[in-house]
Amino acid sequence: MSLDTFIAERQPRWTELEAAVKRARRGKLRALSADELERFGQLQRHVSSDLAIARRDYPDAAVTEYLNALSARAHPLLYRGTPMRLAAVPHFYATGLPRAFRAAWPYIVASLALLVLGFLAGWLAVDLRPDLRSSLVPASLFDQMARGRIQGNVPDAPIAASFIIQNNIRVALICFAGGVLIGLPTAFVLLSNGWMLGTIAAAVHLGGYDLQFWSLIVPHGVIELSIIVIAGGTGLMLGDAILRPGPLRRGDALAVAARRVVSLAIGAATLLIVAGILEAFVSPSGLPEAAKLAIGASAGTLLYSWLILGGRERRRVKRVNLDRLRRASA
Amino acid sequence: MGVVASVPPDTIRIHTAENVSLGYATAGVGSRLVAQVVDNIIAYILFFIALIGGLAVANTASSTQGAAFGVGAAIAFATLVYAAYFFVSELVTGGRTLGKSVMGLRVLRVNGAAPDFAAIAVRNIVRVIDATGIGLIVMFFHPLSRRLGDLAAGTVVVRERPTLRLAAVSAPPPLIVRTPDAGPPIDGIERLSSAEHNALRVFLSRPGLAPEQRHRLAAELGSRMCDRLQLPPGAPERMWPPELLLERLYLQLDQRLR
Repeated sequence: MSLDTFIAERQPRWTELEAAVKRARRGKLRALSADELERFGQLQRHVSSDLAIARRDYPDAAVTEYLNALSARAHPLLYRGTPMRLAAVPHFYATGLPRAFRAAWPYIVASLALLVLGFLAGWLAVDLRPDLRSSLVPASLFDQMARGRIQGNVPDAPIAASFIIQNNIRVALICFAGGVLIGLPTAFVLLSNGWMLGTIAAAVHLGGYDLQFWSLIVPHGVIELSIIVIAGGTGLMLGDAILRPGPLRRGDALAVAARRVVSLAIGAATLLIVAGILEAFVSPSGLPEAAKLAIGASAGTLLYSWLILGGRERRRVKRVNLDRLRRASA
Repeated sequence: MGVVASVPPDTIRIHTAENVSLGYATAGVGSRLVAQVVDNIIAYILFFIALIGGLAVANTASSTQGAAFGVGAAIAFATLVYAAYFFVSELVTGGRTLGKSVMGLRVLRVNGAAPDFAAIAVRNIVRVIDATGIGLIVMFFHPLSRRLGDLAAGTVVVRERPTLRLAAVSAPPPLIVRTPDAGPPIDGIERLSSAEHNALRVFLSRPGLAPEQRHRLAAELGSRMCDRLQLPPGAPERMWPPELLLERLYLQLDQRLR
């Protein structure tokens, strides 16, 4: 077939697809009716085959380039992932997130281990060299403790909350994103957060203000640290995918792992809003220490019962005894 | 094998379900940076609109406590708007933020599909790492100019070609033919196909060749055509001036293939 005949014969369907692509662009194919949609699929396949013919017979003709550009614009309209629906969000929190949490447990344990390691190192550093205490821990903290109050100004609390929430979400997302650098930034964030908490806790312990201190940390810290640990786990998972890609190429293994756990990282990060509100309003408040600790403990209990129990299949399926059924019906 | 070898280095080939490979030209560092700057300007404008709006609302509060709460909420809201711009605009437009569409770019998954929620989420979260400058370095060295966020999300930013117009493509360029008719039938013309037809046409429609250059090319092309026609050494067609041979050959072949 000559190029002219090829073009003359098949041109109508090219222009038809071109028009359909233009119409579909804005509404992502949603603007098309069912019939038009079916026709779109047909046209796309026709044009694909025309492209294949043109590649073989007229590799240098401008028409080949045109067909490639046309198919390239039509292809992503037809091939796309499942769209995200807002209606699926509650279901994700109810089942998807806890399941993703449990599926990632080895990494989350590793992440926790890093945090604890940092904590112990910080504690040891202060314990071994109490003379360095002042350089490790801000002195003003002790003044405040000695005066028996470590409290933010109450009118500042809302502003503080917004900054705390944003900062924490940022840290959580860095934990996830750090996975692309084989998890090194993730490990750094975990270790340094643990170290900070460890040095302060040890210093406070030396001063004998344990109860005051922990009542300031626990109400929000249980949720906040849990989420940093979970986010850290997702980052370590990505790092592991790069280091031990299995049968895949490293880049592909990373992409597979990232797509799988990104919703866990995002879902966990949103919980930081709860932690931030507790941090701004409960932790520095005038509530008795016991009440603050109780609030922290119940927040932790709620969090972990949800993460551990949520989204499990019912184990017990009611067994039906066929013999008995048959006898009953007889 | 073989097909892939001819692919230019900045092209990604996607094999579709129809078993046809589509070529996409990937976007370079330069155009991506410009797109990023445009998007940043828009995001900052939105940030300040959100901030001013939020503060205006906070100002209406009666108590100090309420005002403080409003200020906090306004700052949080504005920052959220800034960060969300990149994410939401990519999600809504299917990978063509305003900056990208200004530059004629779009995000695709490496399998050629439009980016979905997970892909857009990953590439926008990893932005915090890329924004440190690492992304630029990685893009500079990556053959397809992907940043770390692209690698983790399995995406690539491609250039949407300036739309080739079908009219421009299909209008055949004018032939330069001097012979008045197709001449006597040429032996062995059935051995030629559309490939030769195409080659003849490209030659005959090529303007601006110097006469001696055109003559030399015609001689070379003519002798190859004679070989393909499997003409015996003494055939009369071999005696024709090469340009006449090619013209007659084209006209006859055009008639046959039609």
